[in-house]
Amino acid sequence: MARYLSKRVLTGLLCVLVALCLNFALIHMAPGDPIRILVGNKEPNPELVQVLTEKYGLDQPALVQFEKYIGNLLHGDLGDSYYTGEPVLNIIKQKLPLTLLLAGSMVFIAVIIGGLLGVFCAKRAGGKLDTFLGSFTYLFDSVPGYWLGLMLILLFASRLKILPTTGLVSIRESYTGFAHILDMAKHLILPITTGVIGIVPYYFRITRASVIQQLGEDFIVTLRAAGMSEHKIFYKYVFRNAIIPTVTAVGIHLAYMIAGSTIIEIVFGLPGLGSYLMTSISRRDYPILMGFYLILSVSVAVMMIVVDFVYTLLDPRVRHVSD
Amino acid sequence: MSILEIKDLSVSYLGDDYKVRAVDHVSLNIEEGESLGIVGESGSGKSTLMLGILRLLNERTSKTEGEALFRGNDLISMNKKELAKVRWSEISVVFQKAMNVFSPVHTIETFLSDIYKVHRPNAKRQEIRKELTDLLAMVNLPKQVLRMYPHELSGGMLQRTSIAMSLMFRPKILVLDEATTALDVITQNQILSEILEIEEKLHLTRVLITHDMSVVANFCKKIAVFYAGRLMEVGYVEDVLVHPRHPYTRDLVKSYPTFSEDGTGTVISIPGTMIDLKKAYTGCPYANRCDRATEQCRTDRPMEDQMDEHWSYYCHNPLQGGETDESR
Repeated sequence: MARYLSKRVLTGLLCVLVALCLNFALIHMAPGDPIRILVGNKEPNPELVQVLTEKYGLDQPALVQFEKYIGNLLHGDLGDSYYTGEPVLNIIKQKLPLTLLLAGSMVFIAVIIGGLLGVFCAKRAGGKLDTFLGSFTYLFDSVPGYWLGLMLILLFASRLKILPTTGLVSIRESYTGFAHILDMAKHLILPITTGVIGIVPYYFRITRASVIQQLGEDFIVTLRAAGMSEHKIFYKYVFRNAIIPTVTAVGIHLAYMIAGSTIIEIVFGLPGLGSYLMTSISRRDYPILMGFYLILSVSVAVMMIVVDFVYTLLDPRVRHVSD
Repeated sequence: MSILEIKDLSVSYLGDDYKVRAVDHVSLNIEEGESLGIVGESGSGKSTLMLGILRLLNERTSKTEGEALFRGNDLISMNKKELAKVRWSEISVVFQKAMNVFSPVHTIETFLSDIYKVHRPNAKRQEIRKELTDLLAMVNLPKQVLRMYPHELSGGMLQRTSIAMSLMFRPKILVLDEATTALDVITQNQILSEILEIEEKLHLTRVLITHDMSVVANFCKKIAVFYAGRLMEVGYVEDVLVHPRHPYTRDLVKSYPTFSEDGTGTVISIPGTMIDLKKAYTGCPYANRCDRATEQCRTDRPMEDQMDEHWSYYCHNPLQGGETDESR
């Protein structure tokens, strides 16, 4: 087991390194000069451009720049933003918690709702309610997140005036303590709802399909033939076997949701990692972009390793192979 | 004395706009202590018959009509609580794919213990373990098997475990649904011989569902031949296989390859295909493939004719004794 896991960690590290190379290459190959954007005007002072280019090392060959970046990275230095001068690590530390809170809450709530609906429909597969809910989830699936977010703002913020439009806190109030947490929670209801509606269909379909598959397995017929109650069959055997694909999906989804919550952060004006990333892309703020992409690739690699580990705990067949 | 009396039993699979009559008005008596082999080609309804009797088919997509009297109590109309008591403790099943019979993520002990607790809810852990160890010993398996997962056992070991599981409550009837089909012939023979020993010890009534005629010939006293959901012929193996009355029985026997010392053994293939069970038909389902079919075979459903108390067939134009080597 330890050998298997260390192998997975090594593979993860290798993936992150490859991702780093690709990110670096893609960022530098993209059109647009960060110094020109930084200087801002149409006819910039060539001397200023020269000084800034040298300051950030952009006059050096790409390979040298990359080598320097990796060297700094190994010392825990992700560089400073070209635009604000602030260390990238500080910016990530500031922005990441909100993004993690958003992504985590969205996936958690979507797993509960999608999972319950999936189980409910799987038990009634082919029935009217199953068909209706199935179609309904396809409807949710086809609605773009930004549109849904705007519609929810229109309904609950503009018309009904029961929830705030944008932001993370009420700027005009200066809440503290529990009132502050409550105010933040109120601001997060619409963004999280938007995200949840978007991903519930995914978990609904995974759970429904795996429960239906398990219900048709021969060992379920054996348990029925042995006189076991449907209740026990379901909770001890169907659920235990059906949960495996859902766990895999949660792990992978959670990693991708860190980037996936960008649109929601923009629509609802939330100061998370995603919205800052969009701004940094338009600014060609290389250190920020490299830092953020590093976080994304590390989170994907970490989640994959976690999923693999959980998988070995849940499925003895995988444990057998890994041993 | 009959232990299971099947009366006019039909099982249909229901589609959105069609109905497949997989078992069609079958009546069959199974005597206490006898061993009955149910044979027929794929889709003949032999497995559906037993699944229907035990009500193991999806109630939304199938319908079972008729009666199946187990010691006088109808399993088809019995309430679910009573049925749960009969299942496994009175009638148990050994399924074909032993690999899929156990939950892949639970140990054999967990799976078997849970089944044990269904009928003995107050049993203590030690008592269960001893009972399971004894059961495994009955099929020549060590107790270490209990700690293992299904994927850690070979096909033969899994099938033995499955048989041990089916004997847990010393059932009155043991149904073996293609239980040894997936095994190699040596393991198959070993397991079937072990079953014969256990059967004698426990006074079991055995129903062996298979398409392997040689297994039935060697391990069963009686045989029931099924075709397109209908019972064609039933009787003692030595009567039915040697002097078949129904042309289908004859053709089925002849289509089974055998070794002959001079290498002259012939194998016939029955021409044509089985009728579409989705479509309604009158007469005998074998009429379109039978060399003895008459107009009556195509229009009238054959009724039961008896040779004696144990031997009956459903044919308008039966073979007379000794006609096994007719035109085919």
